[in-house]
Amino acid sequence: MSNRDPDNLISTNDETFDYLFKIVLIGDCGTGKTCVVQRFRSGTFIERHGNTIGVDFSMKTVLIDDKKVKLQIWDTAGQERFRTITQSYYRSANGVVVVYDITKRSTFLSLQHWVEEVRRYTSSHVLLILVESLREVEKGEAEALCQYLPEVLQVVETSAKENTNIDSVFFYLASELKRRHENRQINANGDEVVRLGASKKLSSCSSCSYKIF
Amino acid sequence: MEYFKSSLKSVLGSASVENEPSGADTVERLVDRLQSSTLLNDRRDACRALKALSRTYRVEVGAQGMDALRQILEMDRTDCEIIGLALDTLCNITSPKTFDEEVDKHGPNNKVGEQFTEIFIKNADSVGLVLALLEEFEFKVRWPAIKLLMHLSTNRLKDIQEIILVSPMGVSKLMDLLGDSREVIRNDVLLLLIQLTKGNANIQKIVAFENAFDRIFDVIAQEGNVEGGIVVEDCLLLMLNLLRGNISNQNFFKEGSYIQKLTPMFQISSEHDDNPLSTWSPQKVSNVHCMVQVIRALVAPSGPAQAVSNCQRIMRACGLLQALCNILMASGVPADVLTETINTVAEVIRGNSSNQEFLAGVMAPSNPPRPAIVVLLMSMVNEKQSFALRCSVLYCFQCFLYKNEMGQSQLIQTLLPQGNEVPSLTTGQLLCGGLFSSDSLSNWFSAVALSYALIEDNTQKEQLLRVLLATNIGKPPVTLMQQCVMLLQQGSKAQCKLGLLMLLCRWIAHCLAAVKSFLLIDSSIAYLTALLSSQENNDDLQETLLQSMCAMLIGLCVHFNDNSISNYTKEKLCNLIENRIGLERFQDAIGGLARHEVYSRTLKHPQPSAKNPSELLLDHEFCRLSKTLEGVIIKSVLDGSSLHQKNEITIPTLPDSVLITQYKEVIREQSSQIQKLNQLTESLVKEKNELEAQVHDLRSSISHLKDQNLVLRAAQTNLMPEENESINVTTNVTTNVGCTKEAEKYKNVITELEIRLVEYASMVKKYETDFERKLKEKSEELEKLKKDQEDLLELLAEDESKIMRYEEKLIALGEKIETDESSIELDTDDQAECNNSVERIDRLISP
Ligand SMILES: Nc1nc2c(ncn2[C@@H]2O[C@H](COP(=O)(O)OP(=O)(O)OP(=O)(O)O)[C@@H](O)[C@H]2O)c(=O)[nH]1
Ligand SMILES: [Mg+2]
Repeated sequence: MSNRDPDNLISTNDETFDYLFKIVLIGDCGTGKTCVVQRFRSGTFIERHGNTIGVDFSMKTVLIDDKKVKLQIWDTAGQERFRTITQSYYRSANGVVVVYDITKRSTFLSLQHWVEEVRRYTSSHVLLILVESLREVEKGEAEALCQYLPEVLQVVETSAKENTNIDSVFFYLASELKRRHENRQINANGDEVVRLGASKKLSSCSSCSYKIF
Repeated sequence: MEYFKSSLKSVLGSASVENEPSGADTVERLVDRLQSSTLLNDRRDACRALKALSRTYRVEVGAQGMDALRQILEMDRTDCEIIGLALDTLCNITSPKTFDEEVDKHGPNNKVGEQFTEIFIKNADSVGLVLALLEEFEFKVRWPAIKLLMHLSTNRLKDIQEIILVSPMGVSKLMDLLGDSREVIRNDVLLLLIQLTKGNANIQKIVAFENAFDRIFDVIAQEGNVEGGIVVEDCLLLMLNLLRGNISNQNFFKEGSYIQKLTPMFQISSEHDDNPLSTWSPQKVSNVHCMVQVIRALVAPSGPAQAVSNCQRIMRACGLLQALCNILMASGVPADVLTETINTVAEVIRGNSSNQEFLAGVMAPSNPPRPAIVVLLMSMVNEKQSFALRCSVLYCFQCFLYKNEMGQSQLIQTLLPQGNEVPSLTTGQLLCGGLFSSDSLSNWFSAVALSYALIEDNTQKEQLLRVLLATNIGKPPVTLMQQCVMLLQQGSKAQCKLGLLMLLCRWIAHCLAAVKSFLLIDSSIAYLTALLSSQENNDDLQETLLQSMCAMLIGLCVHFNDNSISNYTKEKLCNLIENRIGLERFQDAIGGLARHEVYSRTLKHPQPSAKNPSELLLDHEFCRLSKTLEGVIIKSVLDGSSLHQKNEITIPTLPDSVLITQYKEVIREQSSQIQKLNQLTESLVKEKNELEAQVHDLRSSISHLKDQNLVLRAAQTNLMPEENESINVTTNVTTNVGCTKEAEKYKNVITELEIRLVEYASMVKKYETDFERKLKEKSEELEKLKKDQEDLLELLAEDESKIMRYEEKLIALGEKIETDESSIELDTDDQAECNNSVERIDRLISP
């Protein structure tokens, strides 16, 4: 019997972690949310998979400054008919990733709507990142838009196909959430400082040391 | 409608001496005050009074006050007092149960609550209003709001689920209440969530997203874990709803390390060993039942293989499997808990070699110590144990050997002659004991259990052939297979025979050596053919199953036959089948197995589904075997018999063409039959569409009538006060009587209409199902015929090519064949010669 679990060695110590954060991906249908998650989780790119129905859940642990940060990733459906269902996922999210497709203007125009939804339904502590998907095509214009969307902390150009910046998105989120969490614990009495604006482009995330499990 | 009469009485003054106002009147006045009064205090009083009346005069308050009450929820949101009263009133109106106060009027099982629920949620915002009120901390608002949602979802679950899903943060608001420090609220929200998560994957996911598992585990811990009360059970039921069949949530549960949190719950203390009953209160039994269900939801055989095996691995690693085994081996555990725990262990180890090995290593604290598996099997072959428990052991054993080559071979080893001293009691010995005991249930269990050791393992099948059994002193030992066949022939109980036949089928399938041994046993085939050819038509389920299995066994002897036994070569066996049993009957017997309800039920799930001993007939693994082999067996037998037909007929070539024309005839016949069936299907589809349209029409007229009904009801209640006034004035009593008569007439018409509606609805339902069934039958028939036709066509093609080959052969041999073409070809030379000579003669003759 040679078919013992091959992953026995890999994920047994998955059970312990130092931090746990919820990340929610939103954005129009077909913008590549599922591809982004798939790439991050298993390092693969699948050209064709069906639209997400409702919401898909996955989990991954990353190591940041020697701390295990466990990310709960909720990949929501972009289709209109699931809108009210997916709204339920904003509220207790720690980080939200809005994805749009550079090659589809309509998905860019929807950004405003998505950010408003986040505004309406999430707590003020939520961390918002904008992802420009399908980056291998051309340069995006989200940076300009961000002047009007102060909530957006980062704009990242990615390609799930060519694996550009996918990990950076999640490592940035993880390290930023961890940093904030620690800060919050330190000035537990002090007022919560919400950093708004100052959206700058993240070409490569080298500010923190990270490693995938 | 009764209230109408009672109010009539008071209107006419016949019953009451004083002019006491009727309930309907009072309700109407209160509703009016509730709607029109500008003073909050006034409205509060009206609402309080309505609440007081809302049990006795439930229909009146609901019919007249619904809108007013909803308006209060909307407009008076800031006043907790009145909101609380309005919610309480709505709770009474929509209550799924019948109040004692109203039994006289509307009967004990009326659907008043359901109807008012329907009316209440017709206005899409109503539920949203109630959800919004959940955010109010005040107890007298929050609590009735939860209760109202509970009533609504009890009456109209699907609708409420959809409404809550589309109201922003609907589920999230409910989840917040799980943290309410007031236990009543928390417990009721728990019940509401159990209700709302039933069968709705989207709500299940959102609830999980809102940290449900953390909160549930917190509450369970607060309430005393497994020793806790009914709240613990509620928590577990919610957890079960979230996990069962929801792969995403199962993944979340696993990835979120929640499986590990189950382990401590299963570490059930055995401190009070002297009084075991005290530790197993009914509540604790229920809690453990739910807990093991949670585990089974994660490792159910129907789940995705990868996920199941991951969960199994974690369950071993975190000590959960160990904890379960401890329960198995503990004393004083109630039988039903034990049974369910065994079933759970079964699924935790199923197909996972490490976990199977783990179970193999568990020792029971008996004296002398024995492996847990031996102890379990002892219970299985023990007549005194409960049937459910014995079934669970078989299931556990099945899972233990599932994809477990080592376990399979170890079991067979215990039956083979050992070199040195033999351990006291082995699994193999136990099963042999069971096989030959006088208890037919033990025979069945043991035969099936033994067959699990042979699944997909030819080595074990061959090893098992070597097993010898000692008989009476002085006589030579017999093989296990001989003993089985003998038992089959002597045994009187069908259950025992079924078990043995399943074992034999498994044994000889794919194993030429086993087939050979079987055929060499005296009268083995004779017995099978005799059983199969007896009683043409038998209605007894067990008998027909027996015959199916006999056919299966003979068929396996044909299919896995290497022709090494001259008496029973493929050909001779087929000959035997054809002459002694008949091909058709044989096919019927084999195919008959799949037609039984017990077959499809057994095939569905590996766990034995029998509720009592007499239902235990087929085994899951056997059904799977027969499903995969049925087709090839029939084909083998048919091939064999047509081969043998051919051998007889090939000398005169004519019958071939006869056969072909026969085939053609059959095909033609079937084609026309197919055509007819097609037409029938078409007309049925048409009919079905028409009926659907009819149903649609009826539905809309039903809803139309319902609305009308409502309007009329309201009109009636409005009619009364007018009448009342006119009586007071005493101007025209007769018109009043006419008026009330008319009202009565309306009422009758309404009830009549209602009855007819119900009749129509059920009629339409019946038609629908009837037609769907027929349509299904017909299309199945059609499918079968098509398949037959394909087979025949194939046969035809084969035959044709055979004929061609024969013809070629004949030609090659230089034979004459009386087809026009060939005769011309063959004769040309001769003819030419002949013509030549004639010419020459002619020339000679002519001068
Ligand atoms: N060229 C290119 N194509 C991509 C990339 N990411 C996604 N796609 C394609 O975009 C299509 C949609 O991707 P999905 O990940 O399914 O989109 P989604 O946002 O999850 O869609 P919904 O689940 O319906 O909301 C897929 O056919 C992918 O092949 C990328 O980085 N480059
Ligand atoms: Mg998707």
